[in-house]
Amino acid sequence: MKYLNKGISEIHELLKSKRIKPIDLVEEAFDNIESNKDLNAYITLNKESAIQQAKELENKEVDNILFGLPIAVKDNICTNGLRTTCGSHILENFIPIYDATIVEKIKEKNMIIIGKTNMDEFAMGSSSRTSYFGAPKNPWNKEKICGGSSGGSAATIAARDLLFAIGSDTGGSIRQPASYTGIVGLKPTYGRISRYGLVAFASSLDQMGPMTKNVYENAVLLNALVGKDPKDLTSANKEEEDFTRFIGQDIKGMKIAVPNFLMGDIVTDVVKEKIKDTIKILEKNGAMVDYVDVKYLEHAMTLYQIIAMGEASSNLARFDGIRYGFQAENVKNIEDVYLETRGQGFGEEVKRRIMVGSYLLSGENAKIYYNKALSIRDDMRKEFKKVFENYDLIIGPTTVSTAYDLTDPMDDPRKSFMDDVLVIPVNMAGLPGMNIPVGFDKNHMPIGMQIIGNSFEEAKMYQLASFIEKELNLDLTPGGER
Amino acid sequence: MTNYIPTVGVEVHVELKTKTKIFSDARNGYGQMANSLTNVVDLGYPGTLPTLNEEVIMLAIRAATILNCNIQRVMHFDRKNYFYPDIPKNFQITQNDTPIGYDGYVEITKENGETKKIFIEEMHIEEDTCKSAHRKDKTLLDFNRAGVPLIEIVTKPCMTSGEEVKLYLEKLRELLSFGDISDCKIEEGSMRADVNVSIRKNERDPLGVKAEIKNIGSISNAKLGVEKEIERQAKLYDNGETFKPQTRRFDDKIGDTVLMRIKETGNDYRYFPEPDIPFVILTDEMIEEAKKGIPMLPDERRRIYVEKGVLEANANKLVQNRTISDFFNTLLEEKTDFKIASNMLLGDISAYLNREEKELNETTLTKERFLELVKFYQEGTITSKNLKEMLDMILESDKTIADIMKEQGIENITDDSEIRNVIKDIIQKNPESVSDFKNGHDRAIKFLMGQVMKETKGKANPRLANDILLEELKS
Repeated sequence: MKYLNKGISEIHELLKSKRIKPIDLVEEAFDNIESNKDLNAYITLNKESAIQQAKELENKEVDNILFGLPIAVKDNICTNGLRTTCGSHILENFIPIYDATIVEKIKEKNMIIIGKTNMDEFAMGSSSRTSYFGAPKNPWNKEKICGGSSGGSAATIAARDLLFAIGSDTGGSIRQPASYTGIVGLKPTYGRISRYGLVAFASSLDQMGPMTKNVYENAVLLNALVGKDPKDLTSANKEEEDFTRFIGQDIKGMKIAVPNFLMGDIVTDVVKEKIKDTIKILEKNGAMVDYVDVKYLEHAMTLYQIIAMGEASSNLARFDGIRYGFQAENVKNIEDVYLETRGQGFGEEVKRRIMVGSYLLSGENAKIYYNKALSIRDDMRKEFKKVFENYDLIIGPTTVSTAYDLTDPMDDPRKSFMDDVLVIPVNMAGLPGMNIPVGFDKNHMPIGMQIIGNSFEEAKMYQLASFIEKELNLDLTPGGER
Repeated sequence: MTNYIPTVGVEVHVELKTKTKIFSDARNGYGQMANSLTNVVDLGYPGTLPTLNEEVIMLAIRAATILNCNIQRVMHFDRKNYFYPDIPKNFQITQNDTPIGYDGYVEITKENGETKKIFIEEMHIEEDTCKSAHRKDKTLLDFNRAGVPLIEIVTKPCMTSGEEVKLYLEKLRELLSFGDISDCKIEEGSMRADVNVSIRKNERDPLGVKAEIKNIGSISNAKLGVEKEIERQAKLYDNGETFKPQTRRFDDKIGDTVLMRIKETGNDYRYFPEPDIPFVILTDEMIEEAKKGIPMLPDERRRIYVEKGVLEANANKLVQNRTISDFFNTLLEEKTDFKIASNMLLGDISAYLNREEKELNETTLTKERFLELVKFYQEGTITSKNLKEMLDMILESDKTIADIMKEQGIENITDDSEIRNVIKDIIQKNPESVSDFKNGHDRAIKFLMGQVMKETKGKANPRLANDILLEELKS
């Protein structure tokens, strides 16, 4: 009997009425992962302790809707006693002795962590191909990338291995793979979810979020993850809210902006057409959609490179093999410890970004580049703020095209940044952004739409997303319903 | 040797007396087992984030106030990036752009009584590094110190001698320890000074090549180090030699500085604002609250003590011992003889404390018992000889002074008529001595007093007896 292809409410009822046990779901998830092994979605599976936890839960009351449900966690999120590699050789054998706050929250709900998902090394990349453990594959077409950096989380959800996965998004790393794999992925407002225990890439941009097969389940999971955390000074103190509360409401009178930049020449026609089709549906249902100019969006990529790489060069300095992680052998002196450990431990893309970041922060460059980027970022925030004075939400495509081939060359870093050119402005402004599938190209590869909300207005985004989901009623299971 | 004008600037690191570390909740302590006071945040484990200990901010505001600094109202932290095994994250969280205090000064008083303002360029908050111990081909790391809160206080290059450096450091130590900001124990590393020394021929010349002296273990070594360095540089210049900017350390054994390394030009720390700690806004309320916590500072203590009749030299001595000075402060509202009180504390009581290696607050002496003691002494009821005999009991028991006196048999007769009767009797029995007195022989008084004491077995209050004797002799 299969349960994990059902909706969360149905599974919850089955658990509550004791017709199934958490162990049934855990075993099914591992069976699914096993049969989808070639997707390479996982770096580490948590089989033994997941099964043990499931058995322990049999004696506990099913006290919340997430109780007993399997979840996959991106491998840059620290899990106590469970290997956390960040997709890197340098942390290949790193087993944290602490849980990330988000993991504590998952455990509080008695969800069961199934494994750690594959990703670009230290989340640096947009196709998950920089992973030390090999690239994950797209369930819609195994010749294609599943995007990145949260590629493994996207693949396992798209393949319907299980209901829930956590990703992280520094410059689109949840939304972009969600778009390439036809799932729902949300990057919440910066500060919504504590970053404690997320291995930092670019601290001022990093944010984790839920990746799911549908909108409702996404909102339900978000409910469990948010909150002010004394361990993260950048986490926001917000009143508790139910992110599902507007789901099912109509969108009559909703004011929606489409930035011209997001529908510009860089976007392929097939993607543009699908977005336009969706816009028509929205207008037909009483939403007002305007095309608007939003200043600075075209600079977002440049700002991102400066800020993200600058911060990354400092955040990744701690990996020196002295206290934890890989340490090179046969080193002669301290200089050697640094050069050899980091030289052998990091992959090419990570080294490239550390190098560029170090350059951007050195000497006068910090003022010329980093500080200037921070100030333009402020201006961009203000621009978004202005848009939200007149509009409820912003929409546009998530990616310029659908997923490309795993064998496409990786040697031009500027080209790979095109993968994220539409998603990065959201990180720069600290706003919430999500991907929702809106159709397929002629090769039946998913096309995603991006919804951008004002700070802390995720609930409104879910309202629009669920409306679109219902209207389009797409079959989003690769290879059809199981 | 040619006469040169030395220019000296000082950077002092002071560890703050907080309960926990600056960016984690690990305990801040000294002398514990290596790596017992550390956690994953201090060790820079992946994914961990800094929190900010508010006590650090309050103590830093207090320090900035005491050092007459302006206070930065909107401040942030910066990352100073460099690779070294003693810095777990390979960056130090510090303040580069917005030091909490700036443009301050402290005043020193030189031996000739002249005062001089030592200008403070800035003081900022940062985290301490871990301690490394080098053993043969290995380096051991103790992370107990990693993340201990520090303030670094940087003067302008405004000192001109080792003596001024010594006076400045003494003043700073006095202010910061009386301000309850730091223990300022140089030997334990809770106060560390680096000095920058250069010399030039004329005021109008640009500043000379700079040498930084690190690793100075005491204030007297700071003075000596500066003097030796000035001498060394002068000799080089006199011989027509030059030298490169360099870092030297003070070597205790040879009592001189030795070269550590030549400074590379353009140390690049790649500073940028710490993204994990939001900007800190210091409100009027916070600043007021921090100022309220400042205990009475040494200069004010000295002034009040002198006002109360304490000798200036003694006022200085009182302030040198914090616990004694704090104890003395509790007396200030009382009516007592402050001169006697200060003599007693600095004399017999201090001697006792030194001998027993105790602090005053580790004895049983209370304000009430001490006031009783001073009163008896002032009246002459107890003599300094009595005091010495009683000291053990005074400092180690809870008994009242009167009870101790009884136990020790120091029971002075203070009854006027009883003494007068004894004296009348003695005068009658010693007519020669009486006539000696009348003939101007003062020695007779001594003899007669001796008789009084003999008769009363030494219990007569000496001052009272003396007065009565004179009265009776003159009548």
